[in-house]
Amino acid sequence: MKISGTSTLAVPPDRAYQMMQDPEVLARAIPGCESLERIGPDEYRMKMKMAMASISGAFDGKVRITDQQSPTSFKLTVEGSGKIGFMKGEGLLKLTPSGEGTEVSYEGDVQVGGTIAAVGQRLVDATAKMMIKRFFDKLAAG
Amino acid sequence: MIPQTFEYSAPQTLEEALGLLAAGGKPLAGGMSLIPAMKLRLAAPERLVDLGRVQELNYIRQDGATLRIGATTTHFEVETSPLVRGKCPLLAETASHIGDVQVRNMGTIGGSAAHADPAADYPAALQALEARLVLQGSGGERTVSVDDFLVDTLTTALEPGEVIREVIVPVDDQGTGTAYQKVAQLASGFAIVGIAVRIRKAGDKVSMARVGVTGLSNRAFRASHVERALEGRRGSPAEIEAAANLVAQGVEANSDIHASAEYRRHLAAIHAARAIAVALSRTA
Repeated sequence: MKISGTSTLAVPPDRAYQMMQDPEVLARAIPGCESLERIGPDEYRMKMKMAMASISGAFDGKVRITDQQSPTSFKLTVEGSGKIGFMKGEGLLKLTPSGEGTEVSYEGDVQVGGTIAAVGQRLVDATAKMMIKRFFDKLAAG
Repeated sequence: MIPQTFEYSAPQTLEEALGLLAAGGKPLAGGMSLIPAMKLRLAAPERLVDLGRVQELNYIRQDGATLRIGATTTHFEVETSPLVRGKCPLLAETASHIGDVQVRNMGTIGGSAAHADPAADYPAALQALEARLVLQGSGGERTVSVDDFLVDTLTTALEPGEVIREVIVPVDDQGTGTAYQKVAQLASGFAIVGIAVRIRKAGDKVSMARVGVTGLSNRAFRASHVERALEGRRGSPAEIEAAANLVAQGVEANSDIHASAEYRRHLAAIHAARAIAVALSRTA
């Protein structure tokens, strides 16, 4: 499933870029993230919990940052699996100055499989969009 | 298809239920979404608090210019209630479109709202009716509009330990025309798009239009562009079509194996036009 969109942060691109590479900031911004532990250069192990209405589950996964072109773009890969299924998202994030702040545009692909995708297919698109929106809302809130 | 083990309690009073929920229980209403999710192990609550035997949550009564509907009132009870059919026909009509008769016999209005499925039928009608929900926790109660209640996909304004106590909808007089039109996904009965419309006329002009949309995006919403385009007009076929074409304006449409975003937007415009035409024909 293709995902794309834009979001605006109130800080200039070099600061926005730094924030999105900072594991502490990422841990706060990734919805449901419980821990983010460094396992290599720009690679982190993540524990995440999802709870929405009647669906809930824990995921174990990885976050990887690659192709860094500070402060204009980088690639973010998030993958996780748990009892209820697995997901993998890969996206290119581009940062451009916009007034005092930064416009972040993202374009990527999200794959979801396992039970959650087999029975919840019609909810996957809306859920993925909501998670991305929450991520940027939390980044914007610092 | 066997859920993980869980504790089960079936309190008789709301007070008892709220106590169990405050201690970390998960509320169970009709179970039409939660039980399948548990069987598929998409959810594994440790303690279920069944609200089905709490008599004080099951009622439909008129209170002046509103109807108050208890949270555990089933879709079938709403669909067949003479009071709802007479005073708030949009809600009864919408209830009749939910799932199948087995689901309507078990599923409840509070359960549907609390689950906040982006394709559920009720939220479209509740938006068009500008419904309010009374939420109660052990700390007290509060009333929120349905628009504030529906936060996002499967996400509501309910706090942990809080339940929906009742849904408040307006009494629509004889002159108000209403209609619900939906394209159902055949296997599940969920709406690919669903449009609920309420229209009132003054003389030969539309004086009030309310349009609730479900299935199209992350949550049910009011299509205010359509409403504004209808108000003050006579409702000619061309005016209806022009208004209905605004239904997806500013909306990020969902896409899944059943319908692409573009097809959903197309269906929403067609069915908005149909729902508006039917509602207009029902204004006295």
